[in-house]
Amino acid sequence: MNRSRRRNCNTVNAASLARWIVMTVFLALAGLAYVYLTLQLYHLGERRKAVENELALLRTQNDVAAGQIAALTSRTTLQRRLKEGYLKMIPVSESKIVRLTVPARPTDEEAIQPVVNPLAQHESK
Amino acid sequence: MNPSSRTRCVLVCAAFIGLFSIFSFRLIYLQAIKHDEYAGLAAETHVYKQVIHAERGIILDANKEVLAHNVPVETVVADATLLSDVHATVNLLNAELEIPSQELTEKLSSGRRYIVIKRELPAARANALREKLHAGKLRGIYFEHDATRIYPNGSMLCHVIGFTDFDHHGIQGVEASMEEYLHGQDGFRFIEHNRAGQEIVPYRGQERDPRDGYQVHLTVDLGLQSIVEDEIDAAMKEYSPQKATIILMRPQTGEILAIANRPNFDLNLRSEAKPEQMKNRAIIDMMEPGSTFKIVAAASALNERKLRLDSQLFCENGLWNYGGSPLHDHRAFGYLSVRDILIKSSNIGAAKLALSIGDQKFYEYIRRFGFGERTGIELPGEINGVIRPPQTWSKISITRIPMGHEVGVTPLQMTTAMATIANGGKLVTPRIVKSVTASDGKIISAVSPVVLRQVISPETAKQIGEALRGVVSDQGTAAAAAVPGFTIAGKTGTAQKVNPHGGYDHGKYVVSFLGYLPADHPEFVGLVVLDDAHTSKPELNYGGLVAGPIFSHVAEKAARYLDLEPHEEIRKAIPVQRVEKPKPAERVRKVPAERIALTDGSRR
Repeated sequence: MNRSRRRNCNTVNAASLARWIVMTVFLALAGLAYVYLTLQLYHLGERRKAVENELALLRTQNDVAAGQIAALTSRTTLQRRLKEGYLKMIPVSESKIVRLTVPARPTDEEAIQPVVNPLAQHESK
Repeated sequence: MNPSSRTRCVLVCAAFIGLFSIFSFRLIYLQAIKHDEYAGLAAETHVYKQVIHAERGIILDANKEVLAHNVPVETVVADATLLSDVHATVNLLNAELEIPSQELTEKLSSGRRYIVIKRELPAARANALREKLHAGKLRGIYFEHDATRIYPNGSMLCHVIGFTDFDHHGIQGVEASMEEYLHGQDGFRFIEHNRAGQEIVPYRGQERDPRDGYQVHLTVDLGLQSIVEDEIDAAMKEYSPQKATIILMRPQTGEILAIANRPNFDLNLRSEAKPEQMKNRAIIDMMEPGSTFKIVAAASALNERKLRLDSQLFCENGLWNYGGSPLHDHRAFGYLSVRDILIKSSNIGAAKLALSIGDQKFYEYIRRFGFGERTGIELPGEINGVIRPPQTWSKISITRIPMGHEVGVTPLQMTTAMATIANGGKLVTPRIVKSVTASDGKIISAVSPVVLRQVISPETAKQIGEALRGVVSDQGTAAAAAVPGFTIAGKTGTAQKVNPHGGYDHGKYVVSFLGYLPADHPEFVGLVVLDDAHTSKPELNYGGLVAGPIFSHVAEKAARYLDLEPHEEIRKAIPVQRVEKPKPAERVRKVPAERIALTDGSRR
């Protein structure tokens, strides 16, 4: 009986088994890696979307702030504030301006001379 | 294994092979043969083309002050196929956006996949709505990033800047003429949504980034523009004209430094503006220029060397019957030199200047000065004006056109003509755009001055300039246009107003002053035009008395702003002149008296 059993018993090819095990493990790992990477891809996609939204929000806030700055520093607004007395500015009078170049003297005494406009001169003071 | 077992085994295997073959063929059929059809169906259901809007370029003045920019807003859109709870959504939108429930219900029950609920919702309100939708777990409502155009200076420079329509396309002013540069190029992205309407980021398809619009820099200096706006407002208050225009232009380059028209409108409230307020009268209004046109007659005669500046012409003592029709001067003049014809503004003298060169030559000079054709400024809607060819002239046309009648010109054409005198006889194309740059400062396009032609010789231009200095003197018609410390060359104009139904309106005038400063080295040419100004006395409604002082105010402030050096010798010379020459000094003193009467104390 023992001889017969021993004769019918199949031998295991260790090398082949190892090959199969390695292949199976490799396929299993590949599958797991695929699933993991796919999940990572989704996860990164979500993060990318969140970052994009955050960036868009920051851009929007920046644009809104830039718009407010443009409105507050616009000439019309500043002039209105100047008239309201919010901004204190005094125009520099002609007598306070020092000019370094000497004005040219008219050569012809008979040349037509422009007249003084006293009202305008008064206003310039 | 016995034969029957083997047969069964083969049958089972064959059945499996057959079954899997059927699956395989079906798979190949679906995946390969019907791929395009099903991919199209899937795309139709889940793939969207998301437009990424390019930001419209901003408009800046010569000193990079912002004239037009964008403020982010959101457009609320709905996909009716994805709405989870129509009733709750309607209630929320009604409360947040103040849109009637009935209107919302009609829209959201339409079954359409793209429904615009509200445009131009401020970012803060959009965020609040977004949070409430999220809290209520309401699906099917989306927000699209958009921008609205804001003009920080309101009505200032409104006719030049223009505005955009609903779809951000420029429809007036620089917004329209520079549309190609300002608009930019929208980007896009193909995306897929899941059942909840959220984007599946890994499934993003083809993508193209948007290219924002370029920045357009104008030649206008807001400092000067502000001066012009203040003065035109003061003139409107003082004289209540129907229309008014002031232009400042750099004669050497054709750059428009400031330009203002009245009536005007607020660019941020453009929907409330009337059509009359929206017209850029500097380029679309035609007027008879009056005596300012005499510079063309004088320049033509001098350039043709038919006459010299000191050549004497008999001015018929104020009344000349020519062609069976009388021609008057405002005063009786005997012999006047060409210089004095301009200084005294003699109509008869100007007519004789034109007659000295003849119809055809005079017409040629009018055209060479740029009248009868668009100047080419980068603004839409400019008109040619009306200059009739000599074949259609009547016998008296040659005597009326030199004094600015029977012609239709725009204020900008007149300014350009005076710039031709100021810059030595060269006709320069006026321009309002200085350059176009990318947001990083890279220059995309820089506009250079364009000299169209040499209209008259530099010597002739110099002679005309000398004569025009006399206009702004105690001998001329525009003493009130003087600016202390500066020599000014200029010409007044007083034309009876043309009635659109024919003839002229009695008692209504278009008064103007056209000049440049400093006369020797002009920094700017200025034009002031008031249509139907109301003066305290009708006899005071003259260009020199109404438009001249306005020019003086503008020029004085502009000279100060541009830091032009005053001619101090002139200022010192005045008291001496008053002592040595009492008679002109009396006239000098009379000028402010007239101006005080004109201003009626209301002027600042």
